[in-house]
Amino acid sequence: MMYDDFDDLDRALAALPLEEPPVGLHARIMAATVYRPAAAVPAWEVWLTGTLIALAAWLLWVAVSAPTLSSRIVDQITSVATNFGLTSDYTLLWLAIGVSITFWISQLSVPRSRSKRIEAQ
Amino acid sequence: MGLALAVEPPVTAPVLEDQALISAALQGHGEAFGELVTRYERAVYNLALRTLRDRTEAEDAAQEAFFKAYRALASFRPGAKFSTWIFTICYRGCCDRLAKRKRLSSDELPDRADPSAGPETLAEQSDEAVRLRAAIDALPEKYRAVITLYHLQGLQYEEIASVLNLPLGTVKTHLFRAKEQLRKALTT
Repeated sequence: MMYDDFDDLDRALAALPLEEPPVGLHARIMAATVYRPAAAVPAWEVWLTGTLIALAAWLLWVAVSAPTLSSRIVDQITSVATNFGLTSDYTLLWLAIGVSITFWISQLSVPRSRSKRIEAQ
Repeated sequence: MGLALAVEPPVTAPVLEDQALISAALQGHGEAFGELVTRYERAVYNLALRTLRDRTEAEDAAQEAFFKAYRALASFRPGAKFSTWIFTICYRGCCDRLAKRKRLSSDELPDRADPSAGPETLAEQSDEAVRLRAAIDALPEKYRAVITLYHLQGLQYEEIASVLNLPLGTVKTHLFRAKEQLRKALTT
């Protein structure tokens, strides 16, 4: 067929059928979208874990590459503990007593009053 | 006795609009997205095929386009046309593939010519449709896309401009030049 003008060409193009897609294309698309199994771990958790690991690695590298820094950090923690009296035996003793009493009280089971028991029934 | 007009119920089920299918798909109805795939896979595949001129790669590009659309379905703007959106995604993916192909081969054109597109084989082809497709495939990439979207997919100029990210005037010019080249190729 000769295409002497655009009208012939337009008609031929308009009549040109679209090619059939491959047989398995629909199934492949559905498998990649709707039927795609959900990820075991959400993407944000992977990103968060990766970021934390990278941060920890960087901090470790900073600490290892600057030996004076680690000793300075230990000194700082020790001085804070000293200022708060955490190095004193008496303070530690009273702290231990306080913690154990708190724990003991938390384990007590106080019986309900009679009126509350009737309401509950 | 009143008028007893027997109104027959419609034989076929009502065809859902694309927007309704998108809403259903967003609510977790996978079959709604499946219906969208059924409606547009042929058109998307053909756009990829004409742009890339490689069946295997066109299949991958079509799958990738639907995958991207599915992931970004929540961001689909209500009121927009799904066809324009999916064509845009597909065309951008094809452009990326063409750019990657160019980087790898360093040959500018032909990127991956269909063996049927050669001038000698073109003359031998008796089937008009095959001949026309081969002539389209021999066009430069920018003209192939415009011809495919306008004539084969029936898109309006504005929609083509949106898909290809081109000014309206450029779309019209490309279409005119594409048809001119096609006519020359088919008459010689």
